[in-house]
Amino acid sequence: MRKINSRQAGKKVPDYLENNIVRFVYLLRSEGVRIGNSEVIDALQALQYVSLENREKVKTALKATLVKKAADAVIFERCFSFFFTPPETRERLRELRQQKIARHEHQIKEAEQVFTFRGEKMNLSALDKTVYAYMPETEKKRLRDFLEMNESRETLQQWYRPFLETLVKGRLRFWHKQLHKEIQEVIAQRDTGDEELNAIRDAAAGSGYGGRTILTEDMQHITRKELPQAAALIRRMARLLATRISRRYRYSKKRRLPDLRATLRASVQFGGVPFKLKYKSCRIKKPRLLLLCDVSGSMIRYSSFVLQFIYSLNAVVQRIESFVFAENLERVTPYFQQGQDFERTMTAVVRESGQWGGGTSLHSALKALMMRYGDELTGNTTVIIVSDTRTIHHREAALELEKLREKVKEIIWLNTLPRQEWSSYTTVAAFQRSAAMFPCNTLADLEQVLSRKFLSA
Amino acid sequence: MFVSLEKLQKGFTSAGYICDEEVILTVYLALRLEKPLLIEGPPGVGKTEMGKALARIFHTELIRLQCYEGLDENKALYEWNYQKQLLQIQAGRVEGRYGRVDGDLFSREYLLERPLLKAIQADRKVVLLVDEVDKSDSEFEAFLFEVLSDFQVSIPELGTIRARHIPIVVLTSNSERELSDGLKRRCVFLYLDFPGIEREIEIIKARVPQAGERLTAEIARAVHHIRQNQEIRKKPSIAETLDWARTLVSLNMDRLQGSTIERTLNILLKSRGDQRVFREQIGADALEKKIRSSLV
Repeated sequence: MRKINSRQAGKKVPDYLENNIVRFVYLLRSEGVRIGNSEVIDALQALQYVSLENREKVKTALKATLVKKAADAVIFERCFSFFFTPPETRERLRELRQQKIARHEHQIKEAEQVFTFRGEKMNLSALDKTVYAYMPETEKKRLRDFLEMNESRETLQQWYRPFLETLVKGRLRFWHKQLHKEIQEVIAQRDTGDEELNAIRDAAAGSGYGGRTILTEDMQHITRKELPQAAALIRRMARLLATRISRRYRYSKKRRLPDLRATLRASVQFGGVPFKLKYKSCRIKKPRLLLLCDVSGSMIRYSSFVLQFIYSLNAVVQRIESFVFAENLERVTPYFQQGQDFERTMTAVVRESGQWGGGTSLHSALKALMMRYGDELTGNTTVIIVSDTRTIHHREAALELEKLREKVKEIIWLNTLPRQEWSSYTTVAAFQRSAAMFPCNTLADLEQVLSRKFLSA
Repeated sequence: MFVSLEKLQKGFTSAGYICDEEVILTVYLALRLEKPLLIEGPPGVGKTEMGKALARIFHTELIRLQCYEGLDENKALYEWNYQKQLLQIQAGRVEGRYGRVDGDLFSREYLLERPLLKAIQADRKVVLLVDEVDKSDSEFEAFLFEVLSDFQVSIPELGTIRARHIPIVVLTSNSERELSDGLKRRCVFLYLDFPGIEREIEIIKARVPQAGERLTAEIARAVHHIRQNQEIRKKPSIAETLDWARTLVSLNMDRLQGSTIERTLNILLKSRGDQRVFREQIGADALEKKIRSSLV
């Protein structure tokens, strides 16, 4: 274990235990595990008490000192299995990475050659070229044929270039959506500055070892079989949110009941005479939560998530008002107050509500909310909107949202569109002005949102 | 308090705490590094029991601080005994030594030790169990990690009190909320999950030896199968498994039967919702068949 043969750009990397541990920590950090310096010191100290020849014990010692979250344990296992390998394996990983880089560069060069018109390069971004590199060969050929056909038409001159660029970009955008996952993986492969670590990261990412998890999967792709697991996760997350809400007590400055303990304590300095009366501070009401879920046609793919989210929140938060909307607004709180199980509640909601699968008009929904349920909207209300922002009359909706923002404490928007697609929708920017918007495309996104500090202030 | 890994292993066995080697090694490292041990995991996997087991292993006192919302340093660390102070003032007034009592009022005589101070002041190394730390407020958590990093507390009227012996600290959490990075950084982390079938058989054998070989194996398999169901909200804990085993022994059962499972279900599953899920999705007779087939 001590002897790890590493090279970086021809330079020999120092080959001692401390260096290896620091590099391993660097690898974990680059994968999103938060590790402080004191934990690194703890890890090195812990290694003094285990036999370095025993791989399992070394793993346990590092895990106990470096991993502080159950979810990070999966990343740790993956990184450990690829980092602590014999020198030959590392060398092989490095070679594989070199080959991969060479292949990628070749494909980008090819893309640059393809995207020209009348001898001039088209104005395409690095992302566009990457998308082209990962497109299926048949599609690449179709695109090349299309460009060649335009090139051969003599009537088309330089003035045609911007149009052609727009057409090509549109096609690439379409493929970016289709190949979203693969492209994301390529983009996410940040350079750690250490070739060997880069190679290990590549190998770990491509191993499928803990790769696709239910947490990182787009929620619309969660299979029926995985639903119970997803439901359990959503329930756990809803509980986290409920705990956070229940802890948001604030203290009043108004004087109400005398606090005997504090009065006695204060009276000590006056010889036992209760000269200064102390008062108990009063707890204010817990914050109200108002849930507004989009169940229109574009959101139907996320309906199982939305339903589970409403059900779980209702099960753990007492003061919650739930609404669904598509073309109109509908209050669904009573369905959740009957204490029935998930299946029955959901069957009743879907059967009796007329909103499912309709078009979206956030504008009408917000207007109805403010007109009919104005009492629910106070400075103590937090509104959670679950929607993909796609609606008709979005300008009017943005204005209504602004009005709503003035009435309530905060608006949190859980957007089921992946973050990288936000820039393609003008609605996102329009609604972001009044609402704190968070991506909620995967369960990992939801977990991240719910563990943010926004509800703890 | 030096202890070797082998000795600790034997200690856990004799204390009746059966766990994996990884768990023992993690505890051993926490002891050697003199760091608090933070245990996370679902309810009923033996987190609190770990603190008790350590106290039994080291033949020392267990000081327990049960956390809850609103717990503050007055209840966790120290408080002045105001009644006693007032009485002293009144008595001093009668005896005409009013001016002299003031300095004495904030001495150790008037100090009420709460669990944290008690653990720090103890004459020997004790086990301090901070139970369900996730239920406390984040302000208290911040205060706690200051105490746990230096093992000293400052009382304005008395000055700094340093630990005579650094206690063995065990913190438990059900992950109801995320603990702060600061607290986690100061701890050695252990995630305890439900035991596997073989480990649970060992636990039942150690705690309910009367159950017999066959019944023990069947109970462990049945409980394991029930825990796999994602719809069941409150999975049966180890303690509930042991209670179930004791119940079945008291009913003179030597193997699991559908009818007995049905009759004793309330020992394992404590909510109506979970019992309904069990009946609809698992079923007592089906469970009996499943266990039989897996044991053949």
